[in-house]
Formats: sequence, C-alpha cells, structure tokens
Amino acid sequence: MTAWITTLLDGLAYGMVLFIISVGLTITMGLMRIVNLAHGAFAMIGGYVAAVSIDHGLSWALAALLGSAAAGIAGGIAEIFLYRPLYRKGELAQMLLTFGLVFVVTGLLTLAFGVDFQRIPLPPSLSGEVSLGFRSYPLYRLFLIAVGALLAAGLWLGIDRSLYGARLRAAVDNPAMARGIGMNVDRLFTATFVFGCALAGFGGVVGSELLLIEPAYALKHLVTFLVVVVVGGHASFKGSFAAALLIGSVETFGKFYLPSLAPYVSFLLVLVLLLWRPHGVLPAKSLS
Amino acid sequence: MSLLSRRSMLGGLSALGTSALCTSTLATSCGLFGKASAEVVKVGVINTFSGPFARWGEQTKQAIEVFQKQRGKTVKGSEIQIVYRDDGGADPARAKQLAEELALKEKVQFLAGFAFTPNALAAAEIATEAKLPTVIWNAATGIVTRKSPYFVRTSFTLPQDTAPVAAWAAKNGIKSVVTLVTDYAPGYDGEAAFTRVFKENGGEILESIRVPLPTTDFAPFFERVLEKKPNALFLFGPGGPSSVGMIGTWASRLKPADIQLITTTETQEIDLVKIGPAALDAIGSSHYPETSDNPLNVSLRKDLEALFGAKTIPDIATVATYDGMQLIYRAVEQLGPRPPPDAVMSLWKGAKLDSPRGPIEIDAQTRDIVQNVYLRRVKAQGDRLINVSFETIAAVKDPWKEWNPG
Repeated sequence: MTAWITTLLDGLAYGMVLFIISVGLTITMGLMRIVNLAHGAFAMIGGYVAAVSIDHGLSWALAALLGSAAAGIAGGIAEIFLYRPLYRKGELAQMLLTFGLVFVVTGLLTLAFGVDFQRIPLPPSLSGEVSLGFRSYPLYRLFLIAVGALLAAGLWLGIDRSLYGARLRAAVDNPAMARGIGMNVDRLFTATFVFGCALAGFGGVVGSELLLIEPAYALKHLVTFLVVVVVGGHASFKGSFAAALLIGSVETFGKFYLPSLAPYVSFLLVLVLLLWRPHGVLPAKSLS
Repeated sequence: MSLLSRRSMLGGLSALGTSALCTSTLATSCGLFGKASAEVVKVGVINTFSGPFARWGEQTKQAIEVFQKQRGKTVKGSEIQIVYRDDGGADPARAKQLAEELALKEKVQFLAGFAFTPNALAAAEIATEAKLPTVIWNAATGIVTRKSPYFVRTSFTLPQDTAPVAAWAAKNGIKSVVTLVTDYAPGYDGEAAFTRVFKENGGEILESIRVPLPTTDFAPFFERVLEKKPNALFLFGPGGPSSVGMIGTWASRLKPADIQLITTTETQEIDLVKIGPAALDAIGSSHYPETSDNPLNVSLRKDLEALFGAKTIPDIATVATYDGMQLIYRAVEQLGPRPPPDAVMSLWKGAKLDSPRGPIEIDAQTRDIVQNVYLRRVKAQGDRLINVSFETIAAVKDPWKEWNPG
C-alpha cells in the first residue's frame, strides 16, 4: 500500500517539473501566441549557466538564479532581434525560425561544452532522504512539489489577477487598440518574453534531476512541453498546472502498474483529454 | 554483382600488377612512378559525430589522434589518411549511403567505426560487395560479424560482458534478480543473456522490466522493483543521461533496502564523474579496466590528457578504436598500401594484439573479439570514483555465437 503513496508523490514531483518548465511556454506561446518551439533551448541555457556557475564554486541557489537570469536575457535578446519581426508573419515563419534557433543553440552549446550532459549537483540541504514515517523519500522531490505549488499560486495572482496581467491580455488580443490607449506594447512584450524565458531557465535548473541538461535537451523534450500547454489550454495557467500534474501522475502510475505499456498510457491520456476538450482542460476565458 | 565489385576487382588487379612490376628490376623507378597513387592509404570512418550520441564519434577521433601521435601517420612510407563521415545516430539508410560513397568516390582501403548495430548491418552489404575490410568499433549485438565476411570487431558483444557477471552473481549468494533494461534491441540482448546464464546457474528471475527509451523519470520502475524484493537488480541502460538517472534512482530507492546493483558498462569511469557517489558499490562487468597499469593503457591515458586536457577519460569506444587502428596499421605494414582484401582478412583472423585493456584476439572462425572480462565494484579513491576489479575471467568468446549456431 505504501508504494501507492510514494508513486503518487513521484507523479506529483514529475508533474511539477513539467509545470515549472512548461509554464513559461504557456506565457510565450499561449498568452503571446508565438509558436515558440525554442522554449526548451532557453531552459537548456539556464541549465548550462547553472552548471558552469556551480563548477566555479557558486552556491546552488545563486546558480539557479543566474541560470534563470541568463535564460531571461537570452530570451530578451531573441525577442527584440528575432521574434519581434515575426509577430505578423504568421505561424509557419515563427515555427521555422524558432526551430532553427533550437539547432543554433544546440550547436553552440555543443561547441562550448561538448556533447556530454551536465550535472547540477544538489546542495546538501536539498539532497538526501527524509522519513515519511513508513519509509524514506528523497527530500528534493518534496522540494519540487513545494516550489511548483508556490510558483502556480504566484502566477495565478500575478497574471490572472493583476493589472499587469490585464494589460498583457489586452495587448495580445488587440495590439493596435492597446497602443491607441497609450500602452507601450513592445516593452510589455519584451518584458513578458524575458519573464517566460527566465521561468524556462529556472525550470531547466530545478528540473535537471529528472530532465538532465544535455545538448539534445531542447529537441528531446519539446513534444512533452508542447503537450502540457496544449492539453492545459492555451494561455491558461490553471490549465497547464492541471495538465502537468495529470500527465505526470498518470504516466508515473502507468510505469508502476503497467511498465510494458508505460509509453502508451500518457499518450492515450492526451488523446482522451483532447477529444473531450479540444481547447484544453481549462482554457483561458479570452479564448473560450 | 554490381558495379561495386567489378570496380574493386579492377582496383585489386591493377594493384597486383603494380606490385608485381615493382618486385622486378624496375623497382626503383616504379617506386617513384607509383608514388602519387600508392602512398596514401585511406581509412573511411563512419561514426556518430553529432546529435545526442556524438560522444562515440568524439572518443573515436581522440583515440585515432593519440594512436597516430604514438605510431606516426605513415606506415612504411605510406600515409594513413582518415576520412570521417557522420551518420548522426542510428540511421541505417545514411550509414549505407556513406559506406557507398567511401567505397566508390573516396576509394578507401578500409572501413571502420559504427556506433550502432543497425548502421553496421546496413553497411555489411557494401563491405561484402566492395570487399572492404571493415573494423567494427562499437555495434555490440552478437549478430553483426556474421553479416559480412569482411567484418571484424574490436569492441565487444553485450552477451560477452553480461554472461560472466550473471554466472558470478548466481554463485555468490544472489538468489533472485529483477532485470530492468531499456526497451530496444541491445536491451533485449542484455536481458536474454543475463536471464539465460543466471538461470543456468540456479538463480531465479522475479520479473523482467523493459523501460521505454525516452523515459526521464525512472522512480516508478524502481518502486516496482522494490515491491518484488529481489537480492539484486540487473540493469542495462542506453548510456548517457538515462543511465545516470537509473543509477541515481537505484541509490536512492533500492540501495537502502539492500538490493545490489549489477550492471555491465554502465559504470564506466567516464560516466562515474557524472553519476557521482550514487554509483558507489555498484557491480559492473566490462572488458576495459580503465585504471589498468598495462603500459599501453598508461601511455594512452597520458597522451589523451596531453592532447585533450587533464579531464579526458578513455572509454570502451577509445580502446576499440585504438585496437582497430592497430589492425589497420598491421595490415598496411605487412601487406603494403594496397593490400588485397582477402589477404587482410586472413591476416586479421586469429590476430593477437596487445591492447590497452590487456591481451585480445580476433577469433579465426567468427572474426569477433576474444578478451578478458573484468568484474568490478565502484569505489572512492580520494575524491575520485573508480572501478576496482575483483575478478578477471580470461579469454571470453562471444557466447551469443554458441547459443545461436549459424
């Protein structure tokens, strides 16, 4: 029976990792409606910067911060010089450019760090096991669950419930009108994109125990990130939170009870969810 | 028979003609005359130099550079030129196309490389038709060398590393095992070999779990193993991040419950740096003891560090490449820059070599490698993790060939 509880915790922890990384994509692709296939590249940049920082003796927390900042800065540069000219060019152009960006970043990181993967070693305060009463359980997974939950609450307050969020949604829905009433749409978009990419970088760092940082990262996990956003519903934080936890848990239980069917269980779930709700489980109001 | 074989036959004939002439009194002028065409020996290397598995190619390249630094780039006046081609991963169609290009356009005298079994199998037809002596530097499924009479293998086979550790486990108090392998062909090979030998020696397999290749979180699979309460877990992963994830999960979930980890080459020194202390006490089985004080190994490690930095660590791909180069150099040394393919094959069959890993031999019948297999345990040495061998099984042949008489 106890295996049931640990499997549930494992599922939640995995789901939270999916959420932390994918929520940045919910912002850039869902809210801002850019087909951003390069999301994983920003997560990966965060991971590499953190790995290098720790190699140079910085603390884990500082490394995570630097990783997020680097991903955010890279995102800002990319937004101004690459994404902005494409806002009106349609989805195909965005897809091609962002997909190309993945290859460029992958190539550059391979050139700089080699083909091997990078470890981001956990600090002693987060590693090791804690007792759950009936058995021990990795502390870091509990930490992931807590961080994911806090982030979800923060985003809900910060975007669904704030003036900034209202402005952003207005600017996306009708940029001309938003400009007309005096909003600086370009700056808002850049800031939001930076934030989305910084979240990706943060996810890359804290999720690296499950999704190891390697040059192939951005392509390898692209589908997973997209699935979370699509199943959750475009532009919906609650949706991507629910989707990530659902996918994480179902996949984890599938691995435990039906290991030979594990790869099909989560795809089956996605299929059923999308047939049931083609716009995602909890789509944002502006789209529904 | 196609264009390929006819071309290479013509090539072979003209080479014979030249050498016959050269042995006559015209030898000196012949040497001058034949210089341009005869002095460059081309070795086509098809390996994975990009994508997630690029480490195979990188290790290969390093091994070749060290080898050529040690033995020189020329053999008896003939320059040995390496022509690299990137197959980008498990891509049989591309590997075949590259092999064709190397045979027809580059007119290489030798073919080598192949990290992946499907790629090696795809190139087999070309090697046979073009009569290209080919050295397999990794592709480790049993069947590979059967696919072309021009194939030899200097790496290993999965059953070759697996069978000894399975027998050892059964004889050393491990009564029950759960096998957990990656869900792809080499994984099945590992699972089958372990199960067969472990059962033959009286052990019991409680369950065989196959983990899908794209898995990132291994915890639930290991929780399932924990429920079965075996004495040990036999693990076979695809290397790289997945293997690191698997061993980390073992350390956190199964090691506290005294479930021993048994693997083959998952705990290579090159990976221990990344796996970290989680690997401590894991039992591995490999044909390459990285810390061996064999002089060839010592000089290999020294030169690798001199050329590529102090953190460079050799692995199974490094030694397989190194020994493959030894075979090629030996062929050129004894048979000249345009060696007749069949003469090369007879030279290689039964060849004995000193390898950085210890003594090796190419089996005369199967053209597969015969080598020692070392059982080892991961230990800490200062702040570095190494494999400490505790048993050596001498001159292991590929058991797959015995189990599957062709």
